[in-house]
Amino acid sequence: MTGAIWGACGVLFASGLILMVFRRQLLAMLLGLELMINAANIALVYYSSLFADAETMSVALLIIAVAAAEAVIGLSLIIQLQRSARPTDSASLRELFG
Amino acid sequence: MIEIPLAVFVLLIAPVAALLLGFFILRPAKPDWTHWPILASCALVCVASLALAARVYTGWGIDATIYTWMAAGNWGVPFGVRVDGLSASMLLMVSLVGALIQVYAVGYMKGDPGFSRFFLYFHMFYLAMIGLLLSNNYVQFYLFWEMVGVASYLLIGFWYEKEAPRKAAMQAFLTNRVGDFGLMLAVLILLSLFHGNTRFAVVFPLITAVNPSLIALVGLLLFWAATAKSAQFPLYFWLPDAMEGPTPVSALMHAATMVTAGIFLLVRSWPLIAAIGNLPELIGAVGAITAIGAAIIAATKTDLKRILAYSTVSHLGLMAFALGLGQVAPAMFHLITHGFFKAVLFLCVGNIAHALGKGSVEVCDVGGVAKKMPVTFACFSVGAISLAGLWPFAGFYSKDAILKAALHHGGMAAAAGLLIETLSAFYIFRMLFLTFLGPRTEQKGPGRAQEPGLMMRVPIVLLSLGALSAGWFFSHFSTMLSSGWPLRDGVAPLPEFSRTTLAAATAAAALGVLAAYWLTMMRPAWDWRWRRDHPHWEEIFQSDFGWKEVVRFFVHWFGGLAHKIGRDWDEKAWDGFIESTPSVARRLGEAGSALASGLINDYLWWMLAGTSLLLYAVIR
Repeated sequence: MTGAIWGACGVLFASGLILMVFRRQLLAMLLGLELMINAANIALVYYSSLFADAETMSVALLIIAVAAAEAVIGLSLIIQLQRSARPTDSASLRELFG
Repeated sequence: MIEIPLAVFVLLIAPVAALLLGFFILRPAKPDWTHWPILASCALVCVASLALAARVYTGWGIDATIYTWMAAGNWGVPFGVRVDGLSASMLLMVSLVGALIQVYAVGYMKGDPGFSRFFLYFHMFYLAMIGLLLSNNYVQFYLFWEMVGVASYLLIGFWYEKEAPRKAAMQAFLTNRVGDFGLMLAVLILLSLFHGNTRFAVVFPLITAVNPSLIALVGLLLFWAATAKSAQFPLYFWLPDAMEGPTPVSALMHAATMVTAGIFLLVRSWPLIAAIGNLPELIGAVGAITAIGAAIIAATKTDLKRILAYSTVSHLGLMAFALGLGQVAPAMFHLITHGFFKAVLFLCVGNIAHALGKGSVEVCDVGGVAKKMPVTFACFSVGAISLAGLWPFAGFYSKDAILKAALHHGGMAAAAGLLIETLSAFYIFRMLFLTFLGPRTEQKGPGRAQEPGLMMRVPIVLLSLGALSAGWFFSHFSTMLSSGWPLRDGVAPLPEFSRTTLAAATAAAALGVLAAYWLTMMRPAWDWRWRRDHPHWEEIFQSDFGWKEVVRFFVHWFGGLAHKIGRDWDEKAWDGFIESTPSVARRLGEAGSALASGLINDYLWWMLAGTSLLLYAVIR
């Protein structure tokens, strides 16, 4: 069982990471981020039920809340970009250029 | 915790408080009053050192660390006090002579535009010497040693608007730096040998336990430092030129606070130096050469202060000579009696300079001063007789003890001792006769010179009482010096008098006096005639037997080398390096900014790499 959970988590996390790093579409990057967060969350939930630990379960809930808040901020940033008629492509956002 | 008596704190706090008060309150508000807190501090210091000396006399002593600055493990700069027979006896002389000279200076410097500045420097000089005497470790000793050097620099160049004092101050400071470097190296070696603890009480018992060749090097370096500070050959030449400062400065520097520091260093480190084979012999030989050479030159000088300056060099040489013979107590005793009579002699010359309104007085400016200035004449005579070493004046007792050791040693040492005795009697009586008797046809005579005010007469009279009587306390001094001495077998007491020494010393001194009388009074023109008839002799004496030329050559050569290094190294190598740095920085910056593409995904790669490294480090 543990192996299956670790496998699922690993696949989810890796696909999230690949989305984040290789895709330039901001929406896809946000999706990758959510995937990575939830991959970690699955492992947390599994271990909290394994050890019957309510405290860890509450941390999993907290992470869901944080992920939701982060999605809100990310989406609102993307909407702002769309409204200002800029492409939602990370290649066009070069403000950080040194 | 050892109880430290109040007197020890008074010795250090009173001068500091007087300096702070003088600098921050009186100098801006009422500069003419700067001397009042300083004189009060002198009085307190004298009382405190008397009290300490009385306690030390009964066998009491102290060696305690008060406070450690910047402590890091064993390392740190400890500040402590050591009061034993050596420091207490010298402290007594320094505080009394120094205080009287400061009283004198009030009269001498009155009306000078730099009056308050002078007193602040002067008292700093005094404080530095007191701190030096009280030190209980080499690091603290070095600190005060440098403070003495700085104060002397400021005071020699006190009249900085004139060129000669500026040059003399720079020369004195640089020559002293050459010696100070030796002391610094010695202290650094001691620090590493004794793991940061350079307390005298720790170092001396362990001398034989550490690397003997390094200890020998330390001994040599300490002596090197002493040759600069105590004006010994080869680094003596700054002292005669230091006469450019005001006369009280010369008096303080020669009698109490500066040149005695080198001898004090040698005596303080005597357990170390005596443990090194042949080093005492070297010190003795250098001392004898210095003493004889300087005495001969003193007999040929015409500037009154310069005669006394060479006389100081000669007497310091005599002390080093005594140390070389292993005679620590006679050397220290001579240092103390010398402090009294040399202070008198300088202040008397100061009186004459003051009366004539001149900075420096030549022999031909004076002559027959005795009639106009009887008090000065009487005091100078006391100082001169004491210096010549005639019974029962102070100089007799200390020189006799040294001479006895020299005669006992026999051979060259005995001959050197007797020669120094004769020469010193000759030059000081030549000076006495030329200045106070006459005037001769070549001299201007006393003119309208008159005795100075009470403020300048009283200290001289008191000091001449010291020059008269300091020798009578030789047995007390002997008892005091051996109290709390760091040597395991104690210090040998001053020798008892013997008839042969007394007869030899008196005969040698009398010979010098008679020769001086004959050449200045019976044939009054002699001093001018030989200069005219034998100008090349005059040249030889003027250049200190050619040594000044050697120094000049060395300085010239060294200056040329420094110039060359400065031009080649500085302009080509160093400047080239400096000028190449902007382009290197630019290239580095361009390489760095290439990493910051502005693309979020690139940053994510970096973040991934960093996180992986971090995770690896944590999990591993």
